[in-house]
Amino acid sequence: MSEATSAETAGAETASSEIVVQTRALSKVYRDFWGRQKVRALKSLDLEVRKGEVFGLLGPNGSGKTTTIKLLLGLLFPTEGEALLFGKDSSDVSKNERLGYLPEESYLYRFLNAEETLDFYGRLFDMPADVREQRIDELIKMVGLDRARKRQLQEYSKGMTRRIGLAQALINNPELILLDEPTSGLDPIGTREMKDMILRLKAEGKTVVMCSHLLADVQDVCDRIAILHQGELKELGRVDTLLTVADVTQLRAKGLTGECQQELRDVIARHHGELLEMNNPTTTLEDLFLKIVRDSEARPGRRASIEGADDNKTGGVATAD
Amino acid sequence: MVLEREIYPYLQWLLWGTGGSNFGALPRFFAVCAGFAVLAILLGYVVSLLRAERRGGFFTGLLQAGDRVFKTLKSGIAELAATSPRRVWALAKLAMKEAWRRRILIALVVYVVLLLFAAWFLSVEHPDPARLYLSFVLSATTGLVLLIALLISAFSLPGDFKSKTIYTVVTKPVRAGEIILGRILGFTVVGTFLLVAMGLCNYVFVTRSLGHVHQVEADSIERQTSTEGEDEGRTGRTTNTAGHRHRIEVDSDNQGIALTENGHYHPLDIDSEGRITVRPAVGFLRARQPDYGKLRFVDRTGVEKARGISVGSEWTYRSFIDGNTLATAIWTFSNISAATFEESRNDQGEASGEVLPIALKVRVFKTHKGTIGQPISGTIQFRNPETTAVSDPEPFYAKDSQIDEMFPSRAQVTPEGEPIDLLDDLTTEDGRLEILVKCAERGQYFGFAQADLYISKPDGSTLMNFIKVHLSIWIQMVIVITVGVVISTLVSGPVAMMFTASFIILGIFREKFLEIATDQAYGGGPAEALVRMGTQANVVSQLDQTWGVMIVQFIDTFISRPLMWGVGQILPDFQYLDSSNYAAEGYNLPWDRIFQDLTICGGYVVAFSVLGYFLLRTREVAR
Ligand SMILES: Nc1ncnc2c1ncn2[C@@H]1O[C@H](COP(=O)(O)OP(=O)(O)OP(=O)(O)O)[C@@H](O)[C@H]1O
Ligand SMILES: [Mg+2]
Repeated sequence: MSEATSAETAGAETASSEIVVQTRALSKVYRDFWGRQKVRALKSLDLEVRKGEVFGLLGPNGSGKTTTIKLLLGLLFPTEGEALLFGKDSSDVSKNERLGYLPEESYLYRFLNAEETLDFYGRLFDMPADVREQRIDELIKMVGLDRARKRQLQEYSKGMTRRIGLAQALINNPELILLDEPTSGLDPIGTREMKDMILRLKAEGKTVVMCSHLLADVQDVCDRIAILHQGELKELGRVDTLLTVADVTQLRAKGLTGECQQELRDVIARHHGELLEMNNPTTTLEDLFLKIVRDSEARPGRRASIEGADDNKTGGVATAD
Repeated sequence: MVLEREIYPYLQWLLWGTGGSNFGALPRFFAVCAGFAVLAILLGYVVSLLRAERRGGFFTGLLQAGDRVFKTLKSGIAELAATSPRRVWALAKLAMKEAWRRRILIALVVYVVLLLFAAWFLSVEHPDPARLYLSFVLSATTGLVLLIALLISAFSLPGDFKSKTIYTVVTKPVRAGEIILGRILGFTVVGTFLLVAMGLCNYVFVTRSLGHVHQVEADSIERQTSTEGEDEGRTGRTTNTAGHRHRIEVDSDNQGIALTENGHYHPLDIDSEGRITVRPAVGFLRARQPDYGKLRFVDRTGVEKARGISVGSEWTYRSFIDGNTLATAIWTFSNISAATFEESRNDQGEASGEVLPIALKVRVFKTHKGTIGQPISGTIQFRNPETTAVSDPEPFYAKDSQIDEMFPSRAQVTPEGEPIDLLDDLTTEDGRLEILVKCAERGQYFGFAQADLYISKPDGSTLMNFIKVHLSIWIQMVIVITVGVVISTLVSGPVAMMFTASFIILGIFREKFLEIATDQAYGGGPAEALVRMGTQANVVSQLDQTWGVMIVQFIDTFISRPLMWGVGQILPDFQYLDSSNYAAEGYNLPWDRIFQDLTICGGYVVAFSVLGYFLLRTREVAR
C-alpha cells in the first residue's frame, strides 16, 4: 500500500502535458443487421489521458467500459465523435505499433503454446528474430509461465491464460497499455502481481488505461478514474481527491489506552466536534461508487451530485502509525 | 474435344487478344477491375452515407461520406506499401497450423481408400485404359482438392471472428491485406502439400494399374517364308491378359515387337536361341504435340463452306461430310518445312525415307450397316493451295473416335502416276499445305472438328505432362482459396462456403451463364424463366405480351441480365481451367496454356486481395 501511494504521487508530478488518449464526444450505438438501434452503449464521452498516467474506467456491468476500449482500438467504429491515440485516429493501423491490449478474455490461438503465441505476435510487430527471442524469454519469466512455456494454451487454466494474454500485450514494449479487467480470473497473488506490474509500467513512464469493476484494484493503482453508468460519464477526477471527504477528519492510531481514547473524545467535544466513529474505517471507494450508481438511477441523465473533489484542500487525512 | 479452344502464344493472349471481339487478357483485366472499382466506390459511398449518424444537414452528410470513402482509399494505398513479408509469413504459418490442426491429413487417407476402391471398378480391359484411369484420378484429385480448399478457406476467418482471436491480431500493426495474403499463402502451402501427395499416389496408381505382362502363346508362333522360300521371321500372339492380346512379329534377325493394342505395345526380348519373352507395356501414357491447321469444308455439290452438315444428334462442335460425294474436309497447315518430316526407320532400323507424321480422328456416323465386319473407308489426299497440284488419294479405314497415327511418305505420286514430292511440290514456298479427307462410302458420314487432323511433333515428356496437369489443378485450387478467403471476410463460415461453392459452380457453367446474361439462350432471363416455370410454358413458346410479362422482361433486360453479365465477368471459367483432359487423352499440355492459367490465377489473387482488403478494413471487427 505504501509503495502504491508513493508511486501515485510521483506519477502525479511527472504527468507531462503530452496527451496520449483523447476522445471527443465519442458515442456508440449498437445496431442490429437492419440498422435498427439496439443499445446506446456510450454517450458523448470526452476524455483525456496524459502520458505516464494510470487511468481507470469504472462502471457496473454493461456500462460501456469495454465499448470505450474497443472504440479506442478501432475494433469498433464510433457512431459519432472520434478517438485519438497518439494524435492519430483510432482507425489508423500504425498507432498499434506503440500499443498493447489485453482483452476482456484472452482471445488467443489455443493450439499454440506460450512461446509460439508470443513469437507469432512478435512477428506481427515485424520484430527481428533475435530481439523477439530475447523478449519472449523475458516476458515468459515475468508472467511466471516458465514451466508451462511449451504447453498448448488449451491446457492452460484461466489465470495462466490471463498471464500469457498480458505477456502478449507487452511483446512490443508498448507506450500505452489498454487493459480490460486485468485482474479478472486471477488469484489474490496474481492480482497483487498484476497491480505491481501496472505500477512498474507506470514507473517506466508508460501510460495505462484499464477498466474494472473491482474497486480495490482501481483504488490501488489508478491516478485518475472515470466512472461510467449506462454509457454516460458520471465522474472524472483524481482518485486521491475524489476519495477525500472534506468535513471529516480521520485519525488512525495504534496502542492507545482507554484513558487516552476518552481524552480524545473530550478534546473533540470541547471543540464542538462530533465524533463519528472510533474504529477501523470500511472501504471508501466502494461507498462512492455505489452512491454514484444509486444517484444516477434515481435521477438519470444528470451528473452525480458528489462534488467533494474540488473544495477539500483544507481537510487533510491524519494518519498516525 | 480436348482441344476445342485454340491456344495462342502467351504474349498475344496477354496483350492483344485472340482476334474477333476478344481483346488481350491484361487490358480486359484492367477494364473489369476499373468497372468493379467504380461500382465498389459508389456502393461504399452509399453504405457510408446510410451508416453514419447524420449531424448537420443533408449536404454535410454527403460530404462526410465522400470524405470517409476518400480517406479509406487513400490509407488503403498507403498501407499497400507497408506490407511486410514477415507478417504475411507469420499469418501464413498460423493458417498452416490451423489447417493442420483440422486434421487435413485425413483427406489424404480418404483419397488413398478411394483409389483402392476404384481399383475394383475401373477396368484395365477398357480399349483406352490410360484415359479411363487418368480421367478418374484427375477428376477425383480436382474434386477433393477443391473441396478442401473451399472448406479450409471459408471457415478460417469467420472462425477467428467467432473466437474473437481476430481482436488480438488486428490490434497489432497488421494491415488487413496481410491477413488476407497470409491466409491465401498458408492454405496454398497446405493445399500444395496435399496435391503433391495425391499426385504421387496418382502416378503410382496409374502406372501400377496399367502395367501388365503377357506370355507368348507357344503354339501360335509360325515361321513365315516368302514365296521365294526366304526366311521372313516369325509371327504369333501373346496370351490374353487384361482383356486383350497382341500380335507378335519377329523378323529374321530376331528383332520383334508385340504390336499396339489398347493404346500400348510391348517390346520383346529374344535370346540367341530364339526364345521370346514379352516385356512390360510401353506407350500407355502419351504427350502428343499436335500442330493444328485450319479446317474448312466442301459440300456434296462441291461448294466451299465453313461447316459441314449436321447429323442431328451430334454435338455441333463436329460437322459432317457425306460419303462418296464431292463433300470434303480440308485442313490448311502452315509452317511446313523439312524439319516437319521424320526419318522413318524400317524393321532393321535403317533409314527408309522421310514421312509426314499425322494423326487423324474420325467420328463415323452410319446410316446403314455397310459391309459387315468392315470399317468404313475414306481417302486422304495432299494439295498445294497455290498450284492446286494434288497427290493420289490414299485410302484408309476409319477407326471410329480413335486417334489413328499415319506416316504418309514424302515421296507421293500424282493421280496420273507421276512422282511428286510432298515438300517441294505440294507445299507452297511459305510452307502451306492442304490435306483433304473424304468418306468413300455412300450413305455413310465422317464427322470432323478442326483438332481432328494434325501434324504430330515428337511426343513431350509424359511425366512432365503429368506434373503440368497437376499444376493446372493447383491453379484452380489457388483461385478457390482466394475467393473463399475473401468472401469469408464478410460473412460467417457456412455462408462463405455456400457463396464460394456457388461461385465455383457458376464458374463451371460460366458459358451458359453468360449466354443467359447476353440473351442468347432460349427462355429469356431469370425472371422470365420463373414465369415460364410458374405457367408451365416451355422455353420456346411465345408468351402473351401482357403487362405482367412485359414488366418481367423489363426486369430481365435492365436488372437481372446486366447483373448476371457483371458477375460473369469475374467468374473463373473452371471448365476451361480444368485441363485434365490433356493428360487423359494423351496430349501435351502446352506451356503457353500453363502460363496463361497462372496469369489468370495471379489476376484473381491480386484483384480479390484488394477487394478483401477493403472488405476487412471497413468491417467493424468487434460486432
Ligand atoms: N456487440 C454488441 N451488440 C449489441 N450490444 C452490445 C454489444 N456489445 C455490447 N453491447 C451493449 O453495450 C453496452 C455496454 O457494453 P460493454 O461491454 O461496453 O460493458 P462493460 O462496461 O464492459 O461491462 P462488463 O463490466 O460486464 O464488462 C451493454 O448494454 C451491452 O449490452
Ligand atoms: Mg467489459
